Amino acid sequence: MVTGTNGKTTTSRIIGQILHENKTNYITNKSGANLVSGIVTTFIEHYRKKEYHLPKTALIEIDEAAFKVITERISPDILVVTNFFRDQLDRYGELYTTVRGVREGLERCPNTQLILNADDSLCVSLAENREKVLYYGFDDNAYNNQIENSNSDASFCIKCRTKYIYNNHVFGHLGSFSCPSCGYSKPLTQVTCTKIPELNSTNSTIEMKLDQYGKIRTTINLPGLYNVYNALAGTALGYQLGCSTKTIIKALNTFECGFGRMETIVKDNKNIRIILVKNPTGFNQVINYLLTEKGNTQIAFLINDNLADGTDISWLWDVDIENLQLISDNTSVFYTSGVRGEDMSVRLKYAGIYTRKISYIKDYHELITTALSSMKENENFYILPTYTAMLDLRKILQKKFGLKAFWK
Amino acid sequence: MPEERNEYNMYEINICHLYPDLLNLYGDRGNIIALRKRAQWRGINVNVHSVTLNQPFFPENYDIIFLGGGQDYEQEIIQNDLIVEKGAEIKNAIENNIVFLCICGGYQLLGKYYKTWDGKEIEFLGALNLWTIGSKERLIGNLIYECSYLKDEKNDGLIVGFENHSGKTYLGEGVEPLGTVIKGYGNNGEDSFEGARYKNVFCSYSHGSLLPKNPLLTDYLLSVAIKRNYKDFVSLQSIDNSIENQARESMIKRLLL
Repeated sequence: MVTGTNGKTTTSRIIGQILHENKTNYITNKSGANLVSGIVTTFIEHYRKKEYHLPKTALIEIDEAAFKVITERISPDILVVTNFFRDQLDRYGELYTTVRGVREGLERCPNTQLILNADDSLCVSLAENREKVLYYGFDDNAYNNQIENSNSDASFCIKCRTKYIYNNHVFGHLGSFSCPSCGYSKPLTQVTCTKIPELNSTNSTIEMKLDQYGKIRTTINLPGLYNVYNALAGTALGYQLGCSTKTIIKALNTFECGFGRMETIVKDNKNIRIILVKNPTGFNQVINYLLTEKGNTQIAFLINDNLADGTDISWLWDVDIENLQLISDNTSVFYTSGVRGEDMSVRLKYAGIYTRKISYIKDYHELITTALSSMKENENFYILPTYTAMLDLRKILQKKFGLKAFWK
Repeated sequence: MPEERNEYNMYEINICHLYPDLLNLYGDRGNIIALRKRAQWRGINVNVHSVTLNQPFFPENYDIIFLGGGQDYEQEIIQNDLIVEKGAEIKNAIENNIVFLCICGGYQLLGKYYKTWDGKEIEFLGALNLWTIGSKERLIGNLIYECSYLKDEKNDGLIVGFENHSGKTYLGEGVEPLGTVIKGYGNNGEDSFEGARYKNVFCSYSHGSLLPKNPLLTDYLLSVAIKRNYKDFVSLQSIDNSIENQARESMIKRLLL
């Protein structure tokens, strides 16, 4: 099982590819169908009578709040936890409640092997009193944060409430934390990112050290530091299963993600790129990525406030939208749309974006055609939707722009 | 965006964000952003200062002091510092008419106590005659309330926000509500009061963030703060609020029509 706030889908995809390369027959749930109902459906769908050759492996992406519930019925052999960030607090209550929920779920599965993000102090706290734990994380020299995102979700020790000291800070509250008072600190990692030789707008090259295997180097077809963590999480699982480095490297090179994780649609040699945004940390990472865009561009924000998006859009004010000023010279228009598109316009205005560059267009189809008609060939048009806005957007892109239906 | 006007250059506003590293829930820093920007767009000089745990606090250096909401975990961390270390200074500042904006948890902390739903009473600062009683259900949703002091022939005086609290707050003598609830729960879902006003203290349960989408309230706070320091100050010049009002009115339409 894979759980955590951000990166569940991408990590599951990487693991899926590793299983595929490893010739392991498995079943898995669809992206987004990660609540108990979706998981039960997955098992029912794959039910076969005895005479068929049955897969013995299930790869399940599970919502962090649903984990506690599902463990009343099943225990995973392995649980990967990607991270804990603030996400839709109106639905789940507080961040610490979410962490506590996963811990309670784990109490029901004492034999589960944990694979944890060592750079996340909240994740590491799940390892208390457990023996089977594998850690992945960044070496202190692998990456140094240049753009400081201001809002940290967990800057005080989860055990004794003292402010952490960071030897190295990657993003959000991720990094090599240590508590000066009780000594709680980042544990040693078995799967370690030692270097990121390249991090550009389409892919990332990563060097890793695997305890028993030594160094490997691989390139994934995804940009962004957060995806390096997803690659580490997937690698850690492959390592735990005893897959060869060849298998792991090949899987990382070839996995496909989709579903709003930097999906690209090419229309008249112009690129439409979709990147899902759902919480401050994820959104900040997307902005850091957009800052690497050197060409002329246009950006659209599609903000909804349905249940699946979170009904409170206050979190937009926790995102460092101000950083977009750094690329406002080569961004001709910042479009806003969705049920709360007008709120996003306010956010952009107060982030210092010129009001004449902010354009609210309610209709998605009109928005996309307006943007495409003013773009030159090879330019990128970025669309950043919340979850339900993405579902609506996909329908239009499928009908009018030939986006292939998701899920192969 | 309006140009800077020189006649406002003589004014300076110092804003203090209390515990920004701990009380930073639900985008409440948007309030600081709104105060800063709307002052700067008039050419007023703005400084924002952060004061957190174990740091000295001299409220007389500030014109506006902001206290946001936090998760229970973080609120428990600051409680002692706020009440014991900074409490007396906060009370002095309030009596000396310094402008305070307090949201959600910050609002509750200024009151006398918080009684949990199972009867445990936690003593709070007691700067304002109000108190909070925990309930099992959370009061969550979009909120509209009316502030009569913002209402005139041009303005409806309606404030739009988002509330998310399990504490129900009740106002005692001497404390006025910030507004009257039109849609949503407000302080407790019972007496149609939302927020609290006492001297220049403005308290509300509204996130959203509260100020960016309600420019009239933001300007009101700025005006009160400037007037306290500069006797010759008359009013803020009006600036284009069409983007803010579009967002505000769109929510009013959605909830009331």
